[in-house]
Amino acid sequence: MTGTRYFEPDAETMPRPELEKLQEDKLLGDLLPWAAKRSPLLQDAWARAGITIDDVTTIDDFREKVPFVDKDAIRRFRDGNRDRYGGLLCVDPLRPGGPFTAVFSTSGTTGDPTLVPSVTSGPSILTREFWEMGCRPGDHFVEMLFTYRGPGIHHTIRGIGATPVFVDHSPFEFANVYRLSRELRPTGWYTMSGPLILALEQMAPAMGIDPVDMFASYKGVIYAGEPLGARGRALLESWGVDFFVHTGVADVGAATECREHDGCHIWEDIAFVEVLDPEGDQPVADGERGELVGTTLVDKIAPLVRYRSDDLVRVTRERCACGRTHARMWPLGRKSDEVLVDGVSVLPGDVWPAIEAVPETSAALFQVIRPRRELDVLRLRVGYGDEGARGTSDLRTRVVESVHAAVGVRPDVELVPNDVLLRQGPPHKIPRVAKQ
Amino acid sequence: MSSTVRMPPPDVWGVGRVVVAGEMVPWPVSAADIDAEIRSQTTSLRRLGVREGDVVVICSKLSEAIHAFPLESAANALGARYSSTDATEFDAFRTAAMIEQVSPSVVIGVNREVVTGLRTLGRELHDVFAPVAVVATVDDDAHDALAAAGLAPRRWIKLGPTSAFECEARAGAHFDGSRWRVDAGEDGGLAISVLVPALTACEGLGLGLTGVVDPARCACGSDDPRVRLGA
Repeated sequence: MTGTRYFEPDAETMPRPELEKLQEDKLLGDLLPWAAKRSPLLQDAWARAGITIDDVTTIDDFREKVPFVDKDAIRRFRDGNRDRYGGLLCVDPLRPGGPFTAVFSTSGTTGDPTLVPSVTSGPSILTREFWEMGCRPGDHFVEMLFTYRGPGIHHTIRGIGATPVFVDHSPFEFANVYRLSRELRPTGWYTMSGPLILALEQMAPAMGIDPVDMFASYKGVIYAGEPLGARGRALLESWGVDFFVHTGVADVGAATECREHDGCHIWEDIAFVEVLDPEGDQPVADGERGELVGTTLVDKIAPLVRYRSDDLVRVTRERCACGRTHARMWPLGRKSDEVLVDGVSVLPGDVWPAIEAVPETSAALFQVIRPRRELDVLRLRVGYGDEGARGTSDLRTRVVESVHAAVGVRPDVELVPNDVLLRQGPPHKIPRVAKQ
Repeated sequence: MSSTVRMPPPDVWGVGRVVVAGEMVPWPVSAADIDAEIRSQTTSLRRLGVREGDVVVICSKLSEAIHAFPLESAANALGARYSSTDATEFDAFRTAAMIEQVSPSVVIGVNREVVTGLRTLGRELHDVFAPVAVVATVDDDAHDALAAAGLAPRRWIKLGPTSAFECEARAGAHFDGSRWRVDAGEDGGLAISVLVPALTACEGLGLGLTGVVDPARCACGSDDPRVRLGA
């Protein structure tokens, strides 16, 4: 089997009618009745909507009748009902030897992480991605991560027969990673992030690291955290890295590029996804921009059903050139990050290339100041590496002109050293929107 | 899914590290090594007071996986659940948040970075950790800071690839004497040797620590030997 491109060929290339039938069976025949009977949050939301499980007998019923939930609703339920799991838990947390063994948490960039009760044994579906990258049994695989999401990636690396090499997601690890890469010749890396690319570019010469040499053995490097700008992309390419963009799917799964690099595959045998008008509840056409709404098909511990993710995406269900039939997704930004300036919609991703284009701010460390959605003036806080030969006044003017040319709005720009912004984020990203 | 590729697990469970005097030593371990360490740490957690139904917060870095994973599995072996937080300045908010949200009986792994992070957030160490019955620190700075805040922390000491923990008697950190031997040199330098088959040879590995080894029965009733640092 090691000659195949697919880890689970039947599942990954399943004809769409079969895939959709599988989804229907899992959703209507298993997950939904389970959750409706046990999830206090769902019971509350469904009671408010005036429906019961008997009203949902078809996928059309599901789309038309089942109410949405979002992160705020979960937190409201948590705080209003003194339920630490936000009404999501469908199993008895007090049962000894019960089905969940750990309580992890979301990244919590707001300072209020949401609990994620979990089962910690066994590989995840990311085995498909790691296999697609070309990693095989007997390989070493660098796991450069945090701990708060649990040991799932470690189990997944072992699930393809490879050996994890544990390092911290920190630029201070590069010397160790360089050494381990030369000694162990790993083939996979999970994960690279924007701040790490920036740090490697800056630190490599002084540390005696040749990035091309460091990455020489890798068949694939997973990139995650936040959108990858053109400059970060160019740096990775200049180091000879075949990188695979990886993103979350409405907290019910993850999506990763295949070797075609034409969108991130959503595994629809574990997640039912909808793409809806961000301001309403109607689906958008295939490939059109909309808000990602996810329903798990497999998580019976704390199932999310019609979870509005706040993520703006494009999704297509056209077959990929790799032969896989599952949907592909392109993340565009977060709905709550959007600002309207004199009626013009601006997302951080719209500003990104303009800031990258100015040499002193090419790290693209910036924040949109968003006290509310509708603004008279676009305000940006932009990080710089050095202020340039003509000082910050000149630099500010060039950033303003670059952004104006890109989005048609003339911004107010506050310049700060890069470090000021890097300190605000977890190691793999920074908050792209700030209230002030 | 009949055509799913099923891979046998690799011989090497993972490549962790042992840090000796600031130097990183790559440390491959086998699944058997990990299973044995889980058994050792199950005793440690029981000694820390972990009981069925409890939650244990384990504050660590991924590079410490060969130390942290056995603690996680040991918590499960006792019928407890665990939560993971990063032992970094940035993630200190999570350690505080998890203490508030999951009411752990034990928090393991508070270090100087977490203390700094909490202070940066304006949090009082006493307010954060007082609700927790047992807090185990990993360095002197964190230990002293918590003690100064009126708390009574215990110590988690990494002895090469294994862990040692203080019991309630706080008369040294216990390690599993059936698997490891720790010797103190004339200069007080500690070295560890493994007494059972292990993937990575370990005979007289200098730990970069000074102290004494006490083989006598502890007031807690345990015959596991203890290491006291700095003596």
